[in-house]
Amino acid sequence: MITVKNLVKFHGQTEVLKGITLAVKKGDVEAIIGPSGGGKSTFLRCLNGLETFQNGEVLIDDMRLTPQTHVRKDAVMLQQVRQRVGFVFQQFNLFPHLTVLENLIEAPVQVLKLSRDEAVHRAETLLRRVGLADKLHVRPRNLSGGQQQRVAIARTLVMQPGAILFDEPTSALDPVMAGEVLSLMADLAGEGQTMIVVTHSMHFARRVANRVHVFAGGHDVESGPPSEIFESPRHETTRSFLEQAR
Amino acid sequence: MTLISRKTRKTFLARTAFWSTLRCGEMSGLKRHILVSCLLLGFAPAVRAADLLDQIRKENRLLWGGDQEGGGPYIFPREDNPAEVAGFEVELAARLGDLLKVRPEFSQGQWDKMPDLLRTGKIHIILNGYEFTPERTAFMDSSVPYYIYDLQLLARADDSSIRSWDDLKRLHAGKKASIGVLTASAADTYATNFCRDVCEVVRYDGTTDAMREVETTKLDATLQDGPIAAFYGPRFPKLRNVGEPVAPGYYVIYVRKGERALLKVLNEALIFMVHNGDLERIYRKYGMWSDRQKELTAIAGNAKFYGYDATLAATVDRDAATPDTPVTLGKPEHGWAIVARYGGILLQSAGLTVILSVLSFPIAIVVGLLVAIGRLYGPRLIRAPLAAYVEFLRGTPLMLQLYFVFFFLPEVGITIPAFWTAIAGLAINYSAYESEIYRAGLQAVPRGQMEAALSLGMSRPTAIRRILVPQAFRIVIPPVVNDFIALFKDTSVCSVVTLVELTKRFSVLSLSTQATVELMLMTGFLYLAMSYPMSVVSRRLEKHLGLEPAL
Repeated sequence: MITVKNLVKFHGQTEVLKGITLAVKKGDVEAIIGPSGGGKSTFLRCLNGLETFQNGEVLIDDMRLTPQTHVRKDAVMLQQVRQRVGFVFQQFNLFPHLTVLENLIEAPVQVLKLSRDEAVHRAETLLRRVGLADKLHVRPRNLSGGQQQRVAIARTLVMQPGAILFDEPTSALDPVMAGEVLSLMADLAGEGQTMIVVTHSMHFARRVANRVHVFAGGHDVESGPPSEIFESPRHETTRSFLEQAR
Repeated sequence: MTLISRKTRKTFLARTAFWSTLRCGEMSGLKRHILVSCLLLGFAPAVRAADLLDQIRKENRLLWGGDQEGGGPYIFPREDNPAEVAGFEVELAARLGDLLKVRPEFSQGQWDKMPDLLRTGKIHIILNGYEFTPERTAFMDSSVPYYIYDLQLLARADDSSIRSWDDLKRLHAGKKASIGVLTASAADTYATNFCRDVCEVVRYDGTTDAMREVETTKLDATLQDGPIAAFYGPRFPKLRNVGEPVAPGYYVIYVRKGERALLKVLNEALIFMVHNGDLERIYRKYGMWSDRQKELTAIAGNAKFYGYDATLAATVDRDAATPDTPVTLGKPEHGWAIVARYGGILLQSAGLTVILSVLSFPIAIVVGLLVAIGRLYGPRLIRAPLAAYVEFLRGTPLMLQLYFVFFFLPEVGITIPAFWTAIAGLAINYSAYESEIYRAGLQAVPRGQMEAALSLGMSRPTAIRRILVPQAFRIVIPPVVNDFIALFKDTSVCSVVTLVELTKRFSVLSLSTQATVELMLMTGFLYLAMSYPMSVVSRRLEKHLGLEPAL
């Protein structure tokens, strides 16, 4: 589903990703953990074209992102990539001028060209699913952080993406609200949703992910099933990170 | 129907023939460049010249330009109906219309812009106290004079220190004497020459402003055109004439350079009016007749003009005309009488202000938004030109831009009527400001909004249109409303393209009535009454659409 080969990314002179290679199959749940500044978020943003990169390639099914991919010339392909791969932000990024329902139907109507009725039907189903059926006509600012993030997840799901990228989805939330969101994500994983999750929640990584990657200093220093990573880490960086995260 | 007496006609015929043969020949003895311009005059615009007179006749309309802000006795708003104008030049134009058998139509414009209006064909003639000067004849053609003016010095009646022109050269209370004049008028030139270093010339834009300043002792004296001093004298009872009038000169009609056919019929008509007493009758009516005017008869009699061939078929009989009752200003009114008399016309002008604003501002908003989007998200190629567009329009005065559209574009064949010039000028000028506001507004929308929209598969244009612009719009409501109110008041600049909106109307009325305080309060109230509701609507809109400040 998603294949990354030798991804290299510079921020100016600084090399933030130093050759990442990774493959995600349909139904996989991949967790990316590691210290701040290790390139986790940047990596995720490269996968749906929010960031450009300087070397390597990203394959999303049959679509191919390369350093030559151009924001304008390849705009149509990028749009298709993003429809295939949804994205959930740390800060939710809901559209504040729209109600919850309008947030959800905007893209289906504008991008998928669904009829309004059809989009509303899809949206209502999903909002019931995330437990917010009573907030249809509320504006985002009147929701709690946890509710906002669940709306954001529903907004991504309404496009029926093949995979969803989560960029620290609970970092801006207090533990109770984080719990709501993580349990929703666990449910999605249980239903076979392909996901890549950058997270600080070791609990989630251990319980829900099929595979865990430890990013540090721009490298994927160690990856494997959660049992391996958490029980018998091979790499010193992993050990010290897990020590601190505990 | 009586024509000019046969004897007079014969004399004119002979003199005219003499002059038309001699005119160029005489000059050929002078410097060469005069000969050249004489030849150029003779040939180049001949076709166009004939066209203009034909056109005036065909359209049955003689557009004569003047500025009612100049006031009485020339052209001023009628006291019984301020939407109409009165004045000796209005009557002169009416008589010209009779004689030329065309309908005269007054065309309001700024006094100092008359030559531009003439050059661009927006008026056919200038008839508004324009003095004959050699400088002006370099780019316009002059008729024979229709009035001989002089300049009258005025001072306070109770000021014994100024009894003659020479008194101005002495110090008054330790200071140089100050003389008020109308900017760029003949009085300005004369006073400046007279004063040199020994007295001070203070320039005003309104004719009677200086007279008021003398009354209030801010100035020591003022030099005014004779007709103004005589006409407005009763309004300034504390003033008196000092010495005899000085520096006589000629008021003439100007036409576009080379309009010989038009000039010819105008000259014929003026001379006819000298001979049949029409001019004298008009001037007596306005208290402007003086012995000096006998020179008009002399000028008409010795044919010191060109183009007259005595074929004019006039329809007026001197004996049939009855003497007119003299026109003088009514008693100065104040307080509610002013409100009642002029409230309506001010309100009407306020209407034009509103129309100009509400038509131009939406265009400014749309163009501004497009420019801002182009600069932020457009291809690199168009960003620089758009930046230049904004800088150019912000960096040059609106008045200059209007002037350019109205007076320069006609030179290259693009003629836009005054009203639409004003709309376009205001809209384009303000689009530059609006684009900067939108640019700031768009940049104030958090970056995550665009990323979220893109991540949902939206194209950039869709994201801009559906997600960014609506949010930016809410952010920019206060500054945009601010600009709308500013534009409201900026419409006053449109008087440069001949529109009489609220501020211009105020200037005109305050000059002719001297009821400045009442008119100022009314005008201020009208502006406020128009802009305040905008602020209220804006605040409600903000509340309705408002967003909480971005995190």
